[in-house]
Amino acid sequence: MSKEFVFRGRAWVVEDDIDTDMIYHGSYLPLTDPKEMAKHALEYVPGMEDFTEKVQAGDILVTGKNFGCGSSREHAVITLQYNDVAAIVAESFSRIFYRNAVNLGYPILEVPGITSEVETGDELEVDANTGLIRNLTKGTEVRGAPLSGLEKEIMTAGGLFSYLRKELPAEE
Amino acid sequence: MSGKTIIEKILSDHSGEDARAGDRVWAELDLAVVRDFGGPNVVLEYEEQLGDKPVWDPQRIAMTFDYQAPAKVVQVANNQRICRQFAVKHGVPHVFDVNAGVGQHVLLEHGMVLPGSVIIGTDSHMNLLGAVGSFSTGMGTTDVAAGWATGRLWYRVPETIKITFKGGYSYPTSAKDVTLFLLSRIDMGKTIYRSLEFYGQPIDSLSLAGRLTLASMVTEMEGKIGFITPDDDILAWIGGRAGRTVEAVVPDKDAYYWEEWEFDIDGLEPLIACPDRPDNVKPVVEVAGVHVDEVFIGSCTNGRLEDLKVAAEVLERMGGRVAPGMRLVVTPATTEVAMEAVAAGLYETFITAGAMVTNQGCSLCTIGHHGVLAEGDVLVSTGNRNFKGKLGKGSLAYLTSPAVAAATAVKGEISLPE
Amino acid sequence: MGQTFAEKALARKAGLEQVEPGQIVTVQPDKLLTHDNTAAIAKIFREIGVERVARPGINVIVLDHVVPAATEGHATNHQQTRRFVAEQGITNFYDVGVGICHQVLPEKGHALPGYVIVGSDSHTPTAGAFGAFAAGIGRTEAAAVMATGEIWLMVPHSFRIVVKGAVPGGVYAKDIILNIIGDLEADGADYRSVEFAGPVIEEMSVASRMVLCNMAAEMGAKAGMVEPDDKTRAWLKGRTDVGYEEVFADADASYERVMEYDVSDLSPQVARPHTVDNVVPVTQVTGTRVDQAFIGTCTNGRLEDFEVAAGILRGRKVAPHTRLLILPASREVLLVALAEGIVTDLVSAGAVVLNPGCGPCLGAHEGVMAPGEVTVSTANRNFKGRMGCKDSEIYLASPATVAASALTGEITDPREFL
Repeated sequence: MSKEFVFRGRAWVVEDDIDTDMIYHGSYLPLTDPKEMAKHALEYVPGMEDFTEKVQAGDILVTGKNFGCGSSREHAVITLQYNDVAAIVAESFSRIFYRNAVNLGYPILEVPGITSEVETGDELEVDANTGLIRNLTKGTEVRGAPLSGLEKEIMTAGGLFSYLRKELPAEE
Repeated sequence: MSGKTIIEKILSDHSGEDARAGDRVWAELDLAVVRDFGGPNVVLEYEEQLGDKPVWDPQRIAMTFDYQAPAKVVQVANNQRICRQFAVKHGVPHVFDVNAGVGQHVLLEHGMVLPGSVIIGTDSHMNLLGAVGSFSTGMGTTDVAAGWATGRLWYRVPETIKITFKGGYSYPTSAKDVTLFLLSRIDMGKTIYRSLEFYGQPIDSLSLAGRLTLASMVTEMEGKIGFITPDDDILAWIGGRAGRTVEAVVPDKDAYYWEEWEFDIDGLEPLIACPDRPDNVKPVVEVAGVHVDEVFIGSCTNGRLEDLKVAAEVLERMGGRVAPGMRLVVTPATTEVAMEAVAAGLYETFITAGAMVTNQGCSLCTIGHHGVLAEGDVLVSTGNRNFKGKLGKGSLAYLTSPAVAAATAVKGEISLPE
Repeated sequence: MGQTFAEKALARKAGLEQVEPGQIVTVQPDKLLTHDNTAAIAKIFREIGVERVARPGINVIVLDHVVPAATEGHATNHQQTRRFVAEQGITNFYDVGVGICHQVLPEKGHALPGYVIVGSDSHTPTAGAFGAFAAGIGRTEAAAVMATGEIWLMVPHSFRIVVKGAVPGGVYAKDIILNIIGDLEADGADYRSVEFAGPVIEEMSVASRMVLCNMAAEMGAKAGMVEPDDKTRAWLKGRTDVGYEEVFADADASYERVMEYDVSDLSPQVARPHTVDNVVPVTQVTGTRVDQAFIGTCTNGRLEDFEVAAGILRGRKVAPHTRLLILPASREVLLVALAEGIVTDLVSAGAVVLNPGCGPCLGAHEGVMAPGEVTVSTANRNFKGRMGCKDSEIYLASPATVAASALTGEITDPREFL
């Protein structure tokens, strides 16, 4: 990875077990245009109903455990991506969401204990290369495990299709 | 080196490598499925990335329309059409349209799911097919589009947890209760991304429908897949559908298990998952008496003939009528199940009792159709998810077995069958 | 001087000896029919400032448009209606799943000969098949009726349409009425009471008479009716304890127009997009590709309609590119259809059997089309976008024509299969 994977932005903190219906509700599954999908990010998370109005490009989403549990809908990743949320730092990710984010080249990081270190509004610096999170507002630091192996390669390439084009030309 | 677990065997077989837990491998796909949700996204992604390039193998692609069958909004009607057009263009023969039912069940009935196969689909409950020993998983748009292009996908080989049950239970306890019990006892921090293998007398005695129930909620346990080794009867059934003899994939005797857990379910009582999580499980007796506005019997977890039969019997035994003001929605999983239910007189029982029997499909579960709830409504469902607001903002949902659901419909409050 | 049916029925209700067209009378209607719009009507009712419904016994409320609820909005709407019903002590409330309001009204004994019925739905005239004066009114008026228990009505002019001849095979009530509407055009019976009479009408079943009265609204009629006879009495037997007094037009009544139709040479008819009066013989549109076929609704959702359709579809399969939707008008119809094996026949042929309700007819729920698609339907309206998609086409026809078209995948003359 490179310095493209270092982010600095304002944190939004949500709790454990945010499932895909809360991130992107099932009634919006018919949508296929990412810009339309973006309008419904986190709509069903209590307290986040006006997220899409208030979010700013470069903001960072910080979550509790098991973020993105539930459905395999990639819409849940896209809706956050298209709101220009720079990265997601979670206590833990649900596995399908994790995989979808990797495949879309969307920066994610698992950092146990992160929610006790961050409050909504804190300014964070996130280094997805090293896994280091610095809370600039509180002056604290915490470290998680960065992506490695194949996931890192796919993420660095910019997503699964980019990876396939670069690494496996024979597959074309 | 020790022997292999089921998942290691399947992924070794499909990747040509010695696949072990923790490895990344590229596995050949047996089947890549889309639904009418996710499907149009896959088609659009595929065409954007690859244009008119032919898919890797049209025979190994399938489409099943069950999210909104038939379409409720123009967008979905259009999405279904986009999928049909792609199928025609690329010579994909397996399109199960809005009259077929829940995708994984339809594929199973049509002999397209074999033990030891690797299958992907745009729905997280693809993994209910682990009930017949198939490594089937839910994937996002990009994965499936890439799968259609190349016929292979990357996997991290999961560790395997061996789960053994012992003990016996009797009616009204059923497979759904075993499933809810397990959900309440496991450490999801450990099951996440793992392969689960289920053993023990209680598992052996589960019918196919019961196995589908248990395997379907491995998703809610955050597991990658849950395998139940098909017995001879089930192998014969699959073989009959597939038109060939099939064999189960069994682990090596010296397979290495990351963990081994045992559960004693002797005398297991009926259970219910309370709002707002599938693992918020309590004995039914603890929440009996809670007023309920709507009951849903169906879903990929409990939508087979056996489930409908149990529900119909409870309804009949308890007076044959739902409580005043109770809305009971019944959805068979597939056309085959619907026809069997009609022939068995179950439709008559349900409709006479005051239920609405809808056409086969995902129905309420995907909030595509059929029984969305208003604020303050309480639902008892035989489905697999009850996260906050999923089925209607401000509503509360409980998950349970068909027997308890039917009893609840009669009484108008959470109840045990009599 | 003799009076027409409308004049007699309204005079009697108004407590007058005689009335004439154009005269305003005030009557206390026997029944007020409302459906999913009840919540909206209740809101207006409250805005009037009245607390209690004047005559709760006349209210018949049926939830049928989107059942069970398919969105949170619909669910909330239903919830509000239930609360209103409970608060006002309205007993004639039929919740989701019982059926379409125009079918439920007579089934539950609320449409009786001599009755004056008003309803907040344009197809309220359907009840005229039972010898009642039944007219559609707006929501505000409905709210006023709720508040006061009475309504002012202008006595309409009356048409008498006499139908005779030998009905050819393959021609049904739907074809007869489409032919008449094509002739008179969409405003041809504007604000008229239309009396259907003659030997062909006398031979018709009550269900077929309902088709005529239902469709009368599509030529602008205020009310449509058929005189009660033994068939009517037999149909109503057991459905009500309430006595009724039949009303008949006088033999020397004066009509604005008397028309005669001889149907001996009539062929199956079709209303082309996008108006109901755009009627031609089916032979003029055969070969038109059909994406969806729809048999049901308050117009043609009764047992005899499904018997005809099943007769054509039995043992055969619907065309691969055509989706066939079946929508029974009520739970009662569905139960008999199940018992007769009709549901099995239709599902075997590939149809999707939906639960009783209005379904796709008005584009809110189930069966919406994608842009560019074509539906052939037994419903009563085909305006642009009626079924939810502006860029789609709807052809209206009889159940026989729709069934035959579903088989071939293109608009087809049903006589080929009869």
